[in-house]
Amino acid sequence: MTTFEDRVRVSVDPKQSRTGFSGAIQFTILLAVVALIVQSLYVVEARPQDLITGAHGMADIIRRAMPPDFSKFRSEIWPTLETIDIAIFGTATGVILALPLAILAAANVTPARWVYALARGIISLCRVVPDLVWALIFVAAVGLGPFPGALAISVHSIGMLGRLFAETIEQMDMAPVDALSLTGARRAQVFTHAVLPSVIPSLLGITLYRLDENIRSSLVLGFVGAGGIGFQLLSAMNLFQYQEVSLLLIIVFVVVLVAERSSAILRAKLG
Amino acid sequence: MLEVRGLTLRYPNGKQALTGVDLTVQPGELVVVLGGNGSGKTTLLRCLTRTLAPTAGTVSVAGRDMTALAGEELRQARTSLALVSQHASLVKRRSVRANVASGALGHYSSFMTSLGRLPREELTLAHKYLDEVGLADLAGQRAGTLSGGQAQRVAIARALAQRPRAVLADEPVASLDPEAAEEIMRLLKRLAKNDNLAVLCVLHQIDLAYGHADRVVGIRDGRVAFDLPKEDVARERVHDLYLSQAA
Repeated sequence: MTTFEDRVRVSVDPKQSRTGFSGAIQFTILLAVVALIVQSLYVVEARPQDLITGAHGMADIIRRAMPPDFSKFRSEIWPTLETIDIAIFGTATGVILALPLAILAAANVTPARWVYALARGIISLCRVVPDLVWALIFVAAVGLGPFPGALAISVHSIGMLGRLFAETIEQMDMAPVDALSLTGARRAQVFTHAVLPSVIPSLLGITLYRLDENIRSSLVLGFVGAGGIGFQLLSAMNLFQYQEVSLLLIIVFVVVLVAERSSAILRAKLG
Repeated sequence: MLEVRGLTLRYPNGKQALTGVDLTVQPGELVVVLGGNGSGKTTLLRCLTRTLAPTAGTVSVAGRDMTALAGEELRQARTSLALVSQHASLVKRRSVRANVASGALGHYSSFMTSLGRLPREELTLAHKYLDEVGLADLAGQRAGTLSGGQAQRVAIARALAQRPRAVLADEPVASLDPEAAEEIMRLLKRLAKNDNLAVLCVLHQIDLAYGHADRVVGIRDGRVAFDLPKEDVARERVHDLYLSQAA
């Protein structure tokens, strides 16, 4: 038979009390998430009814974009090449500059604490400023065309690659590095013979993924005058050339798809 | 010759890890260090390789006091002292041959070796060292594909490529099966004799120590409890090392 004392003991059972406590926390978190979403709807002035009233306008644009104007295909080849090359240039220079920075910014191989802080600072600066803003800065500095776009991709890639490279180096198995250091090998030798061979597949994988991302970014950079297919897209939209727009969107779709698939296949082979 | 005199290590928190350790390993000799967990065996090796700086005492390899060195001089001196650790610590994505040849990098200062190239003569010599450990057939294979015993033998070949005067082995058979462990100990013994190396090996396996050592050093509480030819070490004395730890 259950006594009064037993019932009191059960009612203050710390395990049960914790469950009740975590239930209150869960409910509070749920309320906070709902509040967060509601305030975002208010701030962005969300009007779902506009989607319904605007459907007619969207259908009109799609109708005017059909069929795509394939007669302009030849003239779009160069801007497409520009877009791809902006990404290639940006990724290549990004890798060249990000690798030494990443070495200095990896806690396990950096030569000094202040060097680590400085390298991390440069990487953060390159990363936190969006590539679109870098493009605006470089357009103002060197004028319109693909070069400011390539510079923007390059600087932003230094930030993105620098951080990922540094984290890869930090997570590597240090035993082979320590073993080679103890043989009397020099610092540079230890790096090229133990650190690099261990992390190169990961670094290549990250670079391929970045190239894929950069191709996507370089499409957008044309909107701020940084050349490539994005610039053609903006011009065609401003001139209401919707059939050219649809052709450009097909090209964008193919370029992004090919870049994405090639990158994924190559990364799978590296793994 | 490896000579340790009065080696003492006190950590900044006041803990005394080693106290006045004296021991000598002659060329051609295999000396096994036995002791329980926390007795100071690994700390001793770390002081010998100068990954820990001893508070007092000296460590001499071929007459050169390692404790008095720093920077470039210490780096150079390290080429004369090879370490084979519990895990082979090979670069898994490189070939066995490249792993072995990289042991000699400390003897080279050329720009090309800093760019990741291995000297041609070292790649040729790597075959000889691999032959000594019975793995010449695996020279072109990736190190990551080796078994534990094979990897440990490659680590020994890498130590040979270093062309050391003394070899330290820190529980080199800890992660191996008994057959592979026996093979590694036979190899260390043979290298000591054939290459006239001073070999100091930390072990936990008492039978292996009796089977292969020329001398056995017992360590307890950071001090040398005994240092005797293996024939003169009674098993009870060895068991005492571990019993005192359990107590």
